[in-house]
Amino acid sequence: MALPLGYPLRNLVHRRLRTGLTVAVIALVVIATTLFLGLVSSMRRTLATTGSPDNLIVLRKGSDNDGSSAVPLEAHQALRFFDGVGKSAAGEPLASPELVVQPFFKTEAGGRENVLVRGVEPIALAVHEEVRIAEGRMFEPAQGEAVVGRGVASRYRGAQLGRDLRFGRRSWKIVGVLDSDGSSFESEVWVDVRDLAADAKRTIPYSGLRLKLAPGADRDALIRRIEADSRWTLGAKPETEYYAKQAESANVFYVLVVGLAVLAGFGAAFGATNTMYSAVQARIAEIGTLRALGFSRGSVMQAFLIESIGLAALGLVVGVAIAVPLAVAVSQALGGIAFGLSTFSTSVITLRVSPFDIAIAAFLALAVGVGGGLAPAWRAANLRPVEALRKG
Amino acid sequence: MIKFIPFVWRNLMRNPLRSMLTGGAIMLALAMVCVLRTAPEGFDRFLDNLAKNSRISIHNTAGIVYGMPYAYLARIKAVPGVVGAVSWSWFGGAVDRDKGVTFPNFAVDADAIGVVFEDLGIEPAAIEHFRSHRDGALVGRMTMQRQGWKPGDEITLVGMVYPVDLSFRISGEIPAEQDPRFWFHRTYLEEALRAQGIPSDQVGMIWARIDQAELVPGVMKQIDDMFRNSEAETESETEKSFFQNFFSLLQGFIVVFLIVSWLVAGCIVFIAANTASMAVRERMRELAVLKAIGFRWRLLFTTLLGEAALLATVAGALGALLSLALTRALATQAAMTPTMGPLAGFVVTNWMLVEALFLAFFIGILSGVVPSFGGARRSVATTLREVF
Repeated sequence: MALPLGYPLRNLVHRRLRTGLTVAVIALVVIATTLFLGLVSSMRRTLATTGSPDNLIVLRKGSDNDGSSAVPLEAHQALRFFDGVGKSAAGEPLASPELVVQPFFKTEAGGRENVLVRGVEPIALAVHEEVRIAEGRMFEPAQGEAVVGRGVASRYRGAQLGRDLRFGRRSWKIVGVLDSDGSSFESEVWVDVRDLAADAKRTIPYSGLRLKLAPGADRDALIRRIEADSRWTLGAKPETEYYAKQAESANVFYVLVVGLAVLAGFGAAFGATNTMYSAVQARIAEIGTLRALGFSRGSVMQAFLIESIGLAALGLVVGVAIAVPLAVAVSQALGGIAFGLSTFSTSVITLRVSPFDIAIAAFLALAVGVGGGLAPAWRAANLRPVEALRKG
Repeated sequence: MIKFIPFVWRNLMRNPLRSMLTGGAIMLALAMVCVLRTAPEGFDRFLDNLAKNSRISIHNTAGIVYGMPYAYLARIKAVPGVVGAVSWSWFGGAVDRDKGVTFPNFAVDADAIGVVFEDLGIEPAAIEHFRSHRDGALVGRMTMQRQGWKPGDEITLVGMVYPVDLSFRISGEIPAEQDPRFWFHRTYLEEALRAQGIPSDQVGMIWARIDQAELVPGVMKQIDDMFRNSEAETESETEKSFFQNFFSLLQGFIVVFLIVSWLVAGCIVFIAANTASMAVRERMRELAVLKAIGFRWRLLFTTLLGEAALLATVAGALGALLSLALTRALATQAAMTPTMGPLAGFVVTNWMLVEALFLAFFIGILSGVVPSFGGARRSVATTLREVF
């Protein structure tokens, strides 16, 4: 017969200080783990949601970022009429020539960061389908106007809608705010490609092209045709692949974070084991009585395991309850967390703890509960009733 | 006090399992604190190293990618206090087109490189070879090792931005362990570009060395004033400030690292306090007896506190050693897989080990204070009445 569930759980309440301290330890480990996982997953989410599988990015062959690439004007003129490139409703090819420059921006905190400024033509909004003008309007060509991503508007001085923002060699009027569901386009500023080329004095005005595939077009055939063209040394790949490659920098942190979480998990498990051993120690007579009354070894063991898991569950709840608002607070205090991309520019991310991070933390807490409770529960179950009664 | 250490140790060994578990938990947590702190500390150390030289970076106020005319170099060299200056332009060359740019390579002015980067300790013979060969190159040790190059090797860099490929003969090494930089002649690049009809009178940045540290602020102001209202206004800053800005993107990460390491340190306090309170509670009766036969509460308090401190310190020492082993393992791993590169930067210094020991000792004391005080001050009569 199993012991009622209330027995182990009420035991937790009985020894308040000890339970409190152990819960605090598990909660801290949960906070540390979720905060860290949240950072890495926010980084990956930002990059992984950027780009569309139907879009091709064309750069100088071998270049892995559009900040260090150059594509001649004639290549753009030729490529836009290749088979497989989509057409807009008006019949215009969905090919967006783009120039990427990274000028300095001043942060609200007084720092200086390289921000990705993308020079585009109006067709860009049709090619990058996920990018929308959330407030204001798109810039007018050759007017020195700019639209800024949400992340940019909140992080940099003077980058808000309606204001004049100085970057590069001149001042730009901000006429709109871009939204792209949290992807890395929100860390960019878009201006007219010719305005930008003039300002940056670029002799080759384009750093890359983005092509939208026509529905049903053969993507690989188009890539082969672009790469085989001997007039230029160009390379093409799906946008999603391009951004996934940039997300690889986050993988390094993943290894580190998981390693540290396991380390901290072991520490917490040791603490839980201690608490559970002392719980067994303090209740030897009680266990003897239970066994004498006819409760089986299994049910005694189960009761102590449940107690240990209860401890871990409490720690998890407290930890998550603190970690989620803490992540928001840290993110807000820093005006978004910036990290450097391999493109030599800044990506602003909002630190957020995702359900998946919490699931991993829950798994860790469960492991701590079971791992910490197993040995003490085993000892409790294997106490000999007669001796236990005598000792108590 | 010393003579009580064996006694304290014996007390710890009364429940070896508990001491081991607590010690293990403290050890792991402290190892984690050490590993986490390597990132911010390593960064500070890097910056402090840079603060020792009197080199300044001069670049366009609009951004490093904006460039400025090559003619600025001569004007900067003429400023009193400047002992040497070199221009510095990003080339974006790769060894293998398919792998992309794997190390930063710059076109520089060979004549002043030895003066401006005097502190790097490059062999005079290597500098001389570099100056006298137009296809010469100076390469950082890290890149030399990764690529398996040695002085005298002939190599080719494929231009990822410019449509030119350049062949070099390696003149020598920049002898700094973590240095990835590759330097070659600006004139060599300029000729190749001109052959393609691409004008190149712009440079990305200029590094200048000032002969006395006190002159640095004045010289920087003079240079910036000289180019005010020109086609490319400049911003001068010290090398330390330049890299601080360059790596400011890591700031958010460092904040999170620090928060997490403090959380983990807090963990240790709770784990240790829990154990200390268990130990005291179990020994209530014994403490009351000891007091009844005349031992002072202060002595009992000290031994109890000593117990917590000893455990924490021993565990802390083991944890510090563990962190050393962990970071070494990470570095070896990182050396083998290039994508793990940044992990090689996590280095635990001796000073951090000492700090970790003090932290452990302090945590031991902190966690033992409340339970020990309570246990030692409890009235004999109450305790004995309760337990008998």
